[in-house]
Amino acid sequence: MFAYVIRRVFIGVILLIVMSLVTFVLFFASPVDPGRYACGKNCSPAQIEQTNKALGYDKPVIEQWTDFLKGVVVGREYPDDPALRAAAPQLVVECPAPCLGYSVVNSVTVNEELKERFPLSLSLALAALLMWVTGGVLFGVIAAVRKGTIVDRGIVALSLIFYAFPAFFIGLFLLKFVAIKWEIVPVPVYTPIAEGGLGLWLQGLFLPGLTLALLYMAGYVRMTRAFVLESMSEDYVRTARAKGLKSRKVLTKHSMRAALTPLVTMIGLDFAGLMGGAIITETVFNYNGLGKLAVDATVTYDLPTIIGLVLLLGTFVIVANIIVDVLYAVIDPRVRVG
Amino acid sequence: MSSFLSVRDLKVHFPTVDGIVKATDGLSFDLERGKTLGIVGESGSGKSVSSSAILGLHRRTSAQVSGEIMLDGVDLLKLSDEDMRRRRGKDVAMIFQDPLSAMHPYYTVGNQIGEAYRVHHDVSKKVARARAIEMLDRVGIPQPDRRVDDYPHQFSGGMRQRAMIAMGLINNPSLLIADEPTTALDVTVQAQILDLLQDLQRDFDAAVIIITHDLGVVAEMTDDVLVMYAGRAVEYGSCKEILTHPEMPYTWGLISSIPDVSGDTSAQLIPIPGNPPSLLNPPSGCAFHPRCTHRDKVPGDLCTTVLPELLPGTRTEGHLKRCHLTNPDVVYEREILPEIAPDLVEER
Amino acid sequence: MFKYRKRVFAVSAAVALAASLAACGGSSDSSDGDGTSGAPTSDEKGGTLNYLIFAPIEHLDPQRVYVGRDITNLSRTVYRTLVAFPISDDPEVANTPVPDLATDTGTNEDGGKTWSFTVKDGVKWEDGEPVTCEDFKYGASRAFATDVITGGPNYILSYLDIPTDDSGLPAYKGPYTGEGQELFDKAVTCDGNTITYHFNKPWPDFPLAIAGLHMMDPYREDKDNGDKSNFQIFSNGPYKLDGAWDKASGGTFVRNDNYDESTDSPDLRRALPDSIVFNIGQTTETIYDQMIQDSGDAQTSVTSQSVPPPYYNQIEGPVADRSVNIDSPYTYYLVPHFRTEAMSNPAVRQALAVSTNADAYVAAIGGDKAAGVAESIVNPAVVGYQENPAFAGSNAGDPEAAKQILEDAGVSMPVKITYTYPSSETNDKAAAALKDTWDQSGFEVTLDGLGDTYYDVIQKPTKESDVIWGGWGADWPSAITVTAPLFDSRPNLTKNSDGQDYGAYDSDEFNALVDEAQNASDLDAQTAALQQADVLLGEDVAYIPLTTTKFYMLYGSKVTNYTTTPASNGYPDLGAIGVES
Repeated sequence: MFAYVIRRVFIGVILLIVMSLVTFVLFFASPVDPGRYACGKNCSPAQIEQTNKALGYDKPVIEQWTDFLKGVVVGREYPDDPALRAAAPQLVVECPAPCLGYSVVNSVTVNEELKERFPLSLSLALAALLMWVTGGVLFGVIAAVRKGTIVDRGIVALSLIFYAFPAFFIGLFLLKFVAIKWEIVPVPVYTPIAEGGLGLWLQGLFLPGLTLALLYMAGYVRMTRAFVLESMSEDYVRTARAKGLKSRKVLTKHSMRAALTPLVTMIGLDFAGLMGGAIITETVFNYNGLGKLAVDATVTYDLPTIIGLVLLLGTFVIVANIIVDVLYAVIDPRVRVG
Repeated sequence: MSSFLSVRDLKVHFPTVDGIVKATDGLSFDLERGKTLGIVGESGSGKSVSSSAILGLHRRTSAQVSGEIMLDGVDLLKLSDEDMRRRRGKDVAMIFQDPLSAMHPYYTVGNQIGEAYRVHHDVSKKVARARAIEMLDRVGIPQPDRRVDDYPHQFSGGMRQRAMIAMGLINNPSLLIADEPTTALDVTVQAQILDLLQDLQRDFDAAVIIITHDLGVVAEMTDDVLVMYAGRAVEYGSCKEILTHPEMPYTWGLISSIPDVSGDTSAQLIPIPGNPPSLLNPPSGCAFHPRCTHRDKVPGDLCTTVLPELLPGTRTEGHLKRCHLTNPDVVYEREILPEIAPDLVEER
Repeated sequence: MFKYRKRVFAVSAAVALAASLAACGGSSDSSDGDGTSGAPTSDEKGGTLNYLIFAPIEHLDPQRVYVGRDITNLSRTVYRTLVAFPISDDPEVANTPVPDLATDTGTNEDGGKTWSFTVKDGVKWEDGEPVTCEDFKYGASRAFATDVITGGPNYILSYLDIPTDDSGLPAYKGPYTGEGQELFDKAVTCDGNTITYHFNKPWPDFPLAIAGLHMMDPYREDKDNGDKSNFQIFSNGPYKLDGAWDKASGGTFVRNDNYDESTDSPDLRRALPDSIVFNIGQTTETIYDQMIQDSGDAQTSVTSQSVPPPYYNQIEGPVADRSVNIDSPYTYYLVPHFRTEAMSNPAVRQALAVSTNADAYVAAIGGDKAAGVAESIVNPAVVGYQENPAFAGSNAGDPEAAKQILEDAGVSMPVKITYTYPSSETNDKAAAALKDTWDQSGFEVTLDGLGDTYYDVIQKPTKESDVIWGGWGADWPSAITVTAPLFDSRPNLTKNSDGQDYGAYDSDEFNALVDEAQNASDLDAQTAALQQADVLLGEDVAYIPLTTTKFYMLYGSKVTNYTTTPASNGYPDLGAIGVES
């Protein structure tokens, strides 16, 4: 198992390196000139060229990429111009390893940006996860147990409806009506636990979390229902019933245990994706997490931030994959010892 | 006095959108303690559905079960769900066909066997575990105190089936239903398992129903045999009667399709032509008539229009058959026997 | 859906660029008459004002800030300038600088090539240190560090009397490397508290420039950490930044104890609220949901976002009483591409202008609440504005007249042309509206909507477009910041780029008028030359004006003295606004 994890981590690192290269190449394949954007109005071509030089965008793509990799390994200093650094040490921004770059647009290192934004996305992902897994499994199991009844049909129909709605619709609806019009809850504002305690933290997370939860829950209801129905026709569930187990016990101990295993994979991957930021939900609720950062970075041609986000999200997905695989071994003894 | 187990006119119907599937349609039989009944038939003939009905495993929402199942004087079909649950696994236990899929892959063998005990006995996990070890030992698992913590996939096929038997017998059931207990096993292990079942039956004095399509198992294990086709009994009698003087063409087909392992190369292996009938739209008249090669011996279109009754055959009162043939014994001796066992015929 | 905010602070990058580049406005006039609305007036000090903004502010560094809204907000709160535009509805007054940190509005010699200002006594930084001449000099030097101080206005690079190097850029490279420092020290000199700027050409509108932009603001050398200082505010105004600025969510301004009211004028800053909270990031829709609802913090809020057109029908009754709908400093226009065969023919350009249906364009982008038809590329609020005679009369497009022009010129119809514009749902609709009338007028139009790469494409000399969309706003209320940068071929047209002169208009006659304006020793002479230049542009059909963008904004019910003035670039004027307790 240990060797397996090591191998997976190794492959993951290679994957991340390739991802960073692809992002570099894609960014420079677009005809957009980041220097012109940064230089501002009334810039002559010579000034734009100089701005590009100052941002390091004049170097060949491969060289920029190797500089980036070097920064990840040993760290970097900004500005990129050694003469300027020597002449004006007060300008120097230290970016220790693993340095993901310096965002000229936001005047801060990418590492700091990500560090600042990550807790929001993580909180949001956690809140959403909690709601959608609880709701999804609960309603999914109810639908499966009451298969064919009006309850089942209602749950399936509702989940289909939510499934069909785009995230911004649910989000806008909740924000516009539940928070602003009807004033049932305050307009959500993220408050770290350290500042406002658990209560304010949860209050701020409720609506955006619910938006994501409703979105994901729909899929989880339908999957849970299908998996539970499938497992209820398994031979070992019949065995459990033949033993005289109460049907609740059959459901919880035998049927659901097997049904929820495939859900673990999906939960892991969905959660990893969400930690990388929920672009639409964060924008609607003005949640300054990684998703909103991604939007802003794309709009402002902020290459270092884009690269950092790509790599972070890539890392999440790779790590989640490894964790899910390890978790699988814990859950399923056949994988563990077999 | 009625028998220990007395099933009367058992019907298990499944309503579907396409119509009612009559998986079991009017089954009756009796069984005493210490005796073994074999239920024989192809897949889909209603064997497993009927035995599941005895265990009360069918959900009321999906199956309509009617008739009478008297066990030790109590009609199981009249019991409440909860009362039935209390008997399930305790008075009536079942051993399933494929022990790999019939045991939960995520729980240890000991856990699953112990669970069967704890359902009906208010004991600690520790006591249940000790009991499980005891039962594993009893069914011949070596080093049971160690193997008790293994997962099903770590057991061999034969050991899994032994574990299933241990699970089935842990509560001393008075009725044990074994559904194809040896089908998934190789031949040498089959024999061991059958021996074990016989030993245990003797010790526990249980009534046993063995569901099988293997007449070899029937011959070795059973006292009575019930042959099922399309949800109905087509022949019923003592094991010896049925195997030596079968009077129903379907039974003949079953016997003909047993490979003869004694090495008699002149014996032919004759499969039954055609496929089992649809239970949604069973054939008119005798359900077997589309596959029956002896239909021409019955005058008129009796076979295709009239469902034959289950009536005493030509030899004994206790031998029932469902067939329009008036002289099945003669047909069997003249046409079937020479083909499947020429040496037997010569000896006579 | 084309949201209004996208036009000014955009989500789509191409439009974002259009917005931020064209966002440094001169002024606007409240021609609708409800610019300074029925908001209650009050002298009451105290309370907290909320300022709601959607997109993050890119720069707070005075030498880098270049967005009209941010310029005025910072002017009224933390960054005082030598001279400033007063709070007034009257464009005449609002466009005339008054002394702020300087004792007067400056004196010039040498035909406008040398300007001097004397810094007031008693003006202090937020740490109590006096604001000195050296601080002004240091501030002016920063723009030369073009590799660090990016994004800001760089007029000073071409005006200040500093020789250029081989690349055509000034030989002075800014204060950080100190390269060419002696050149700068000659160009900007301090004599006691008097600062003197030496230019290489007359700059008659220099006071307008420094009142309209922060590029000549003082800066404390010991507080300068280059790019690291981008979101630092070191105030010399009535407020200061409380804690740090968070680019994504904003910051809070509180009173600055070292600010001396007596050195300032209530015409510039009344500084009524005790604190001002800049709340960044809510979508325009969310902002307006709350503004319309008007409960809680929304009651003491103002916003720079305009009402999105889908919300127009909600602005009625008492809500409408809290609204203003005014001309903004931004103009949309079209340029014919002079290199193409079709557009090199004056008759074809003439026919295009005659057949352009600006009314339909206005209707397509949201109607008369979103924009008004423009009669010149110069905004009405700019000093010396006049309707361009070439575009007088109907704005509905006249297919018959256009056809006649083409026929008289012997042009074979249909004339195949391509129209290039930044694509969005609304812009596509607007383009289709233009195409409609053009197609009836002897043209056969191909629409060419572009994505994020819009400006990169239209600046390429190799482009094949015949007609190109543009948007612009004056940097200060003089046409010298409009027609000159957009149509003077000399700084714009190079081998690889058309610069801002997308249509590659190249007229010696026009360039000569720009020189005349440039070298004029007083504002009136400059204005006259620029008016002449605009007439020439009209005659040549170097551009076709489309619309003047309008601002349509709500404010909370407890906001007092709500006003949007030409001096505040059409945005809520923080110099005047207060809140009821």
